[in-house]
Amino acid sequence: MTELWRLTLVEAGQGLRKKEFSALELVEACLERLKATEPLVDACLTVLEEPARRRAAELDAAGWDPQKPLWGLPLTLKDVFCLSGAPTTAGSRILEGWKPPYEATVVKRLKQAGAIIVAKTNCDEFAMGSSTEFSAFKPTKNPWNLQRVPGGSSGGAAASVAARQTPGAFGTDTGGSIRQPAALCGCVGLKPTYGRVSRYGIVAYGSSFDQAGPLARSAADCALLLAATAGPDGLDSTASLHPVDDYVGAAEKKPGELTLGLPRELWEGDFAPETGQTLDEAKRRLTAAGVKLKELSLPSLRFSVAAYYVLASAEASTNLARYDGVRYGRRAPGPEDLRDLYVRSRTEGLGPEVRRRILLGTFVLSSGYYDAYFRKAAQVRRLIQQDWQAALQRCDLLLAPVSSVQAWPLGAFIDDPLTTYQLDMMTLPLNLAGGPGLSLPAGLGADGLPVGVQLLGRAFDEAALLAAGRTLERLLPPVGEPPLAA
Amino acid sequence: MGVDAAAAAALARLVRLELGGGGAGDEALKLIEDFGKIVGYMDILEQADVAGVEPLYSPMIEPLPPRADEPREPGEPSAAESLLAEAPERVGRFFAVPKIL
Repeated sequence: MTELWRLTLVEAGQGLRKKEFSALELVEACLERLKATEPLVDACLTVLEEPARRRAAELDAAGWDPQKPLWGLPLTLKDVFCLSGAPTTAGSRILEGWKPPYEATVVKRLKQAGAIIVAKTNCDEFAMGSSTEFSAFKPTKNPWNLQRVPGGSSGGAAASVAARQTPGAFGTDTGGSIRQPAALCGCVGLKPTYGRVSRYGIVAYGSSFDQAGPLARSAADCALLLAATAGPDGLDSTASLHPVDDYVGAAEKKPGELTLGLPRELWEGDFAPETGQTLDEAKRRLTAAGVKLKELSLPSLRFSVAAYYVLASAEASTNLARYDGVRYGRRAPGPEDLRDLYVRSRTEGLGPEVRRRILLGTFVLSSGYYDAYFRKAAQVRRLIQQDWQAALQRCDLLLAPVSSVQAWPLGAFIDDPLTTYQLDMMTLPLNLAGGPGLSLPAGLGADGLPVGVQLLGRAFDEAALLAAGRTLERLLPPVGEPPLAA
Repeated sequence: MGVDAAAAAALARLVRLELGGGGAGDEALKLIEDFGKIVGYMDILEQADVAGVEPLYSPMIEPLPPRADEPREPGEPSAAESLLAEAPERVGRFFAVPKIL
């Protein structure tokens, strides 16, 4: 029999249902794999070994339950999701040791669906970053090449799934933080429509952008995880009442019935040679299979990076004002007075990228600059949303690269914030527009590193997105398993 | 436009941070330099024609009706205690801070 840690969520679910193995056997296999690979990839911040075993044993004792679509399936959570009784750091020193007294709605729903939380994964501090190098605790390594970044900010989640520590994970995507690490690690990552999944109990970064979603190894697995978590929530006023579709059973179209729009602004940039070659080959395969590719222009996209970093930083500066060393989290020792308590707790507890974005956000919100930057960026955001909606009237879905480069060497851009912001160009427009996007492996470059493409859809039409994802998975070359010596 | 050292220091005061992480002066200089580059890049927004365009502050397309204003079960009696238990410093039922007056 295949090693249990190699199974996808759908495969593992079938095996559990047919009693080919128990939940505990599956969890033990994943824990063993995690222990073997974790010293190489550093994907996790907390491993919940005993709670996972206990939960698996409880599920086994109660027996398989058709009401629980994730029965016995091991998952990880990015360390921004509040999980009762476990540390939640958001990758920051300022939250080190904090145990939230409440639980995120996503976590509650995953548990109710029968999932087993095995670990909490590393991320850039407060999800601000594209490489997971801005975690205050450690950089995560890409399982395809341990000298390279896994992407970010959900880099721990993507590296963990790619290393087969668990078959699925939950992350968050504010500017690409699910789709980009999924692409750089050869996984599948879904950013649902803003408001599709509750944000309650998720450490906030940019509240009009943040959206939780799954990372796994297939679109079908992502559908399973979205189905278990989507829907309104009385604890999050922005969780939409829009009906939840059948993501798992959504009907596929034939390749010949699918028209994908290619936003020119995202395809005409400078690509790293291996990335460009792999993307060209992906397009060639899709065309050969009968998929219609149609070039479109979304002129406002050229303002995406500036608009995003103005708006998201503004929201971050507001959201992160709560970390003051008073009610929870880290307090600097021996403060002279209240101001000193605030300043030193924040300065010592928050890392350089987070401090930079707080300063930037405060700058664009300050009197004299508000109209030139903040308001203007919000106006540009509307143009981007309008361009987006217009483009989607001319095709079924949009198809775009996820990143112009593959995983880069650790440390390559750490001192160059503007360049890393610009690398987010291909993922940010979706968060500005608010729609759903699915990142899929497009193949391996000649350098052995994965390359991703993303399908981008209409708001709340994740069903069509995931169905098309299943079609594309069959047409694009599979990336296989990273050559991880474990 | 750029941001000079005095403007950066004023911003830092507003957000209760020390520039450069309170470490060596070089780190503060690097931060100001990076900041200038980033803000300079943001100036591309000047080229966008947004005359008459309403700002979009949330991408929600559909209106979000508020939920019914119904009383909910109060939290467990231990809820307040579990919040206070995470305080870096407390005095009885209160979060404690250095003396203000």
